[in-house]
Amino acid sequence: MSEAILWIVAAIWLGGAWLRIVQQARFYQIEEYMSGRYLRWVGADWKRLLPARPLAAWLLGLMLAAAAGGTLPQLILAASALIACAPQHHGEIKKPLVLTARVKRLLVAAAGISALAGLALALAVMRLSAADQPLPYLSIAIHAGGFALLLAAPVWLVCGNALMQPLEAWRRRRYLSAAAATLAQIQPRIIGITGSYGKTTTKRFLQEILSARFHTYASPKSYNTLMGISLAINRDLSNDFRAEIFISEMGAYVEGEIARICQLTPPDIGIITEVGPQHLERFGSLENVRKAKYELIAQLPAAGTAVFNWDNAYIREMVAQGYPAQRLTVSRELTLEQARESGIDWLGSDIRESLAGLSFTATHIPSGTSASIETRVLGEHNVSNLLLCIATAYHLGLPLSDIVMRIRRLSPAESRLERVKTAGGITIFNDAYSANPKSVVSALKVLGMHTGGARLLITPGMVELGALQDEENRKLGVLAAAAATDIVLVGRAQTAAILRGIRSTAFDPARVQVVDTLKEGSDWYQRHLKAGDAVLFLNDLPDTY
Amino acid sequence: MSSRRRRTIAVLFGGRSVEHDVSIVTGHQIMQALPAKQFTVVPVYITRDGAWYTGDALKGLEQYQDERLLERAGVRPCCLSPDTRHHGLILNPLASRFRKSEVLRLDVCFPALHGSHGEDGSLQGLLELADIPYVGCATLGSALANDKILTKMALRQAGLPVLDDFNFSRERWLEQPDAILEAISGSFPFPLFVKPATLGSSIGIGRADNQAQLRASIDIAVNFDRRILVEPAITGGVEINCSVIGFGADFEASVLEQPLSWDDFLSYEDKYLRGDEGMKSAERIIPAPISPQMTAQIQAASVSALKAIDGRGIARIDYLARPESGEFWLNEINTMPGSLALYLWRESGYTAADLVAKLVALALDAQAEKRRNVYDYKTNLLAVASQRGVKGAKGKG
Repeated sequence: MSEAILWIVAAIWLGGAWLRIVQQARFYQIEEYMSGRYLRWVGADWKRLLPARPLAAWLLGLMLAAAAGGTLPQLILAASALIACAPQHHGEIKKPLVLTARVKRLLVAAAGISALAGLALALAVMRLSAADQPLPYLSIAIHAGGFALLLAAPVWLVCGNALMQPLEAWRRRRYLSAAAATLAQIQPRIIGITGSYGKTTTKRFLQEILSARFHTYASPKSYNTLMGISLAINRDLSNDFRAEIFISEMGAYVEGEIARICQLTPPDIGIITEVGPQHLERFGSLENVRKAKYELIAQLPAAGTAVFNWDNAYIREMVAQGYPAQRLTVSRELTLEQARESGIDWLGSDIRESLAGLSFTATHIPSGTSASIETRVLGEHNVSNLLLCIATAYHLGLPLSDIVMRIRRLSPAESRLERVKTAGGITIFNDAYSANPKSVVSALKVLGMHTGGARLLITPGMVELGALQDEENRKLGVLAAAAATDIVLVGRAQTAAILRGIRSTAFDPARVQVVDTLKEGSDWYQRHLKAGDAVLFLNDLPDTY
Repeated sequence: MSSRRRRTIAVLFGGRSVEHDVSIVTGHQIMQALPAKQFTVVPVYITRDGAWYTGDALKGLEQYQDERLLERAGVRPCCLSPDTRHHGLILNPLASRFRKSEVLRLDVCFPALHGSHGEDGSLQGLLELADIPYVGCATLGSALANDKILTKMALRQAGLPVLDDFNFSRERWLEQPDAILEAISGSFPFPLFVKPATLGSSIGIGRADNQAQLRASIDIAVNFDRRILVEPAITGGVEINCSVIGFGADFEASVLEQPLSWDDFLSYEDKYLRGDEGMKSAERIIPAPISPQMTAQIQAASVSALKAIDGRGIARIDYLARPESGEFWLNEINTMPGSLALYLWRESGYTAADLVAKLVALALDAQAEKRRNVYDYKTNLLAVASQRGVKGAKGKG
């Protein structure tokens, strides 16, 4: 009887471990199955290593069981195991686990490994039992082993992933070669876009503009990894051979990644949007970022064309490297004189912005032709993105008049400084997609233009800027103080630097709130804002923050 | 502008038309003219009864004597898919365990088909559905030029000189031939020409010097078409031809030619088979021996005529002219002239390679022009209709 209960206790712990594996898989997925990053995230907070309720339940069960006699200890242990194993709450879930085939394989592998580990523990305990150890001792062994099984869920996940590596690698290779075969059949002209930020926006703008002449396919959303792009090709193009132009957005967290994407989608034209401190903590230095982005240019054929944002010092270095022969450059910061002197190709000048959108003059410096550009898109940094598109489209033979017409039709991409008005008359500037030192300046400027009511900023600040992060966030605080009338900061530790920035100004401290979750922030605005007010959602962070 | 790859171009020839054989010649002239550096050429041969084949074995004019040509290795059945995603040919459309069906993507199509089911807008319609750039006139221009009655209406409207005509349907002819004969002789003096409305070349066309010949000619003509037109013959005139290429605002007319065998009217054999290499060595005078003013007038009229039928790409426009008086009448527009009127363009400074390259470029421009249109206009009609039910939707009640 009592031994049967012990087996039940063991089964409860195993079930608990499996539940925890499923819960942890969500974070592992957010970290893109990079075990190092994931384990560092787990280790960063003792509550993640040793969750409080299971620990308390386990300890209490242990003590009560030791104190009681008869079959009661086993029952107590079973109860405490149940309490310890009940699913945990991880607060707000913005991105639930996506049940991909890979995650399913991973879960099965991790569950199997944990079951094997549990079985090994049970066998060890059985040997103790054979050695006529007293029952309480066994109970304690089972209880302790089970708890370890539960706590080690992240380890089982990582082991499961390691076990699946050969299979995943084989599948990846098959997937990649299928994508390559599809592209070989279509043979579109390929335009690669990379940069620390502005990639997805530029890609979308360019697709819209080039469609005036070519059937243009762009990798969807922000698919910008090797696997993401193969996925897009296999899904969208294996039965659709129309594309004359393929725009490939190339992202990178490490050196060599863009070169690998270029093998799959060999570019004829390469566009570099910005080099900045995005993902700096993964790259180490801005110099490494520049090197990684330059891979796109290095992979161009000698007869290819590179399009550069001249306003970025790191990108100017790339231009100076002299490859390929045809290098187009755009600027929105130079004067006409400077533009002529430095020999750039396209200049954006006379930039005006209102809440209705942007307008500027685009001048083709070599020929002197110019056009006035108007668009509903907000954010001054988009002038650079648009100039890159104009240079590329003009190079591909689109008449300037077609380009102007297409830009007039552009709308902002979802969650990228998108402006909507609620039924209640509140203006929402949604810039939640991501934030970088360039875009926050533009976004706050747009918020500052709002008149006729309060201007609320809700932000968790910027992340992954490495050593520059605190300083950039402090600057964000200073700018925010100038642009907003009210500020809600999401996440205490995360926003400390912003708060320092705000406090260095004369901004009324009573109008700054710090809350723990985005939901609290949204609730706050729904309670406090009224018709005529505006709110800017600046950046949103994954659940691992 | 650099391009890593060659364009894949399908040249379509043969076809379900009385001009089947001429089309094979034209198709081969085009394939030979396409520079191999820039193009991968895919021959598409359409048989007399409308079966489609492709394969490298179909290149080479001499092979078309071989009755077993289509059984050779590498010759595969194919069809042009109207599905925009395929953007090309489906090889082995009826797949079996031993014959895999696959898509051959095309960048551009070059129809070299003359007459029915090729030059008349039907193939162009298929290419429009497929959304593949193609050489030559679009659906409307092809269809219009194919119909002599409607062409003349459009040209009259554009102020271009055309002969008066009398037209009628086969049904009416079968019911009341005498009334028609009477009406014709009441309107025009002999000699007259009888023409089926929609056939190219000279097939079915007859000349009538009297009532009996007129009746006989019409009896022949109604075998070829449902609609017939009769127009006065221009005596003492010459035939003058002019070719035009272009699209949008950029049109160009070639030098003029005067075919030599006007005197007693060109028979089919005269028109295509005299000489060794088909059309290009038929006897003709280039440039036509007429005054510079008249040449300029005819060239201008040719450009206007192609624009008037919303044509593009290439056409050869045929005239009847009296050089002494300076009068001329536009006779017909061929939107896919035999041999691409290469013999005229050579005199205007185009090699065969230049001409086909120019025509492909025009095809791509025309396709680009279409991309300026919006085809995907989202409405909330379906949402509204599904809410109200189909009965309440617009168009039904």
